[in-house]
Amino acid sequence: MISASASQRLLWAVVPPAIILAVIVVCWQGAVALFNVPRWLLPAPTDIVERFFRTQNLWYHTGLTVWEAVLGFGISACLGIAVAAGIVHSRFLESGIFPFIVVSNAIPIVAVVPLLTIWFGFGLLPKVLICAIISFFPIVTNATRGFESADRRVLEFMRSINARPHQVFFKVQLPGALPFIFAGFKIAASLALVGAVVAEFYSSDRGLGYLVITSATELRTDLLFVAVAVLAGLGVASFVIFGKLERLALRGESADMP
Amino acid sequence: MMAATVFPTGIKPEETSSGAPKPDAGSPRNPAVLPCVSLSNVSLTFEGRRQKVHAISDVSIDIAEGEFVALLGPTGCGKSSLLRLVSDLLPPSGGTIAVRGLPPGEARRANDFGFVFQEPALLPWRTALENIRLPLEVVEFGSAERLRRCRELLALVGLEKFESAYPHQLSGGMKQRVAIMRALAWDPPILLMDEPFSALDELTKAQLQDDLLGIWSQGRKTALFVTHSISEAVYLADRVIVMSPHPGRIKTILNVDLPRPRNEDIRESTEFLAYVRQAREALRA
Repeated sequence: MISASASQRLLWAVVPPAIILAVIVVCWQGAVALFNVPRWLLPAPTDIVERFFRTQNLWYHTGLTVWEAVLGFGISACLGIAVAAGIVHSRFLESGIFPFIVVSNAIPIVAVVPLLTIWFGFGLLPKVLICAIISFFPIVTNATRGFESADRRVLEFMRSINARPHQVFFKVQLPGALPFIFAGFKIAASLALVGAVVAEFYSSDRGLGYLVITSATELRTDLLFVAVAVLAGLGVASFVIFGKLERLALRGESADMP
Repeated sequence: MMAATVFPTGIKPEETSSGAPKPDAGSPRNPAVLPCVSLSNVSLTFEGRRQKVHAISDVSIDIAEGEFVALLGPTGCGKSSLLRLVSDLLPPSGGTIAVRGLPPGEARRANDFGFVFQEPALLPWRTALENIRLPLEVVEFGSAERLRRCRELLALVGLEKFESAYPHQLSGGMKQRVAIMRALAWDPPILLMDEPFSALDELTKAQLQDDLLGIWSQGRKTALFVTHSISEAVYLADRVIVMSPHPGRIKTILNVDLPRPRNEDIRESTEFLAYVRQAREALRA
């Protein structure tokens, strides 16, 4: 009974959007054929699929972009959690660092790309740094909020048994913050992807961002669509992965957390 | 009800009689001479936004080893703060506190206090057993012994079947039982309880009171129990300290000379009701 309703819910989650997608694709295909829309203006879905399978170096570009995003995200994840832990443990860091984090978030990342290119050239490093910078803010803020969400009573209890700060952190604050941290990761991962693409726009001869820019300037619109579709797929994949991790971290808890 | 009858092997229930302070032979700091907890002229003031708030003013009391003391009073009389002063979670603004002759900080570092709160305050990602294990991972306790000890404690309150249940799968009463066992896990000599049963329904509350008395009578820990329920204070305690608010101070101390072990029947007795009336009048006065 329960499994039946579960599979029914899955059916309801999949079928309606699939139908709507099918309708859009059919209309699109039909409109392109009917009005004879030129391929550089709007390629038909079949053209895009064909281009997808015929672009041999697509996975090379994709891999590179993912690698930049993953490295940058990884740096931010480690640094962000460390900074958040520092913020909740030190009054000085809290009021000393937080304003800078907020200001750094207010600077448009696009404006920083040229500067990093001057400093670090056209290689991997400036792209990784952009990804790290752009994904830092949601990780720090969410982790901080998570660490601060620790139950005041539990903290009192830990203090009453003379627990060391590292015991309080690893037994109470960190596990309690995991759902918040993964929620931050979810946002940060898609931002890191954006960062990689934007950095590649400016100065690159490879990567999905490069693919987008060159296909647009050469009016190879079908390739542009392919690159965008792959980016969308990556974004969805990271969202699903971190959503799963978030739910895993909530194991044992009722699902009324953010 | 259940715990009163379930004693672990090797521990015989204490003889009854009044809750007269009883020297504990196993205690390291010669408690036969010193009171377990001693407060003299203790005061506590908070820096409010505009003026100082006097939370506690000039409280002096000695609590003996093994004594069950209830702190009774309305909201704002500083009874919860008193527990936090004793356990070094708050520093007093004046006066001195001694726990077995030592400052509260020393006692805290020696893991003398088991704290129970109004809310269970369990870790939601830990099972019942793992929640009880938490303090054992912090205080010095042989890691080989932990599992056995946790199971023993769960059995003591009839929760052995729920050892791998998460807090959200337990009822309010079960959660509070786990919280009490967490505070008793490493067998601390002093149990501090801050309105632990006030969020529970009447039936569960009565059962947990009996559970608590059963557990307490085996180990004869010193217990400080904060409550705003008159009948609860009288039912549990050897002495009821009646407090009044603004600023929090001791109004009356009531010696409850009811026989132990106590059970439900005693609630109907005229002596019990007389104590309740006395406490109520003291609160009103």
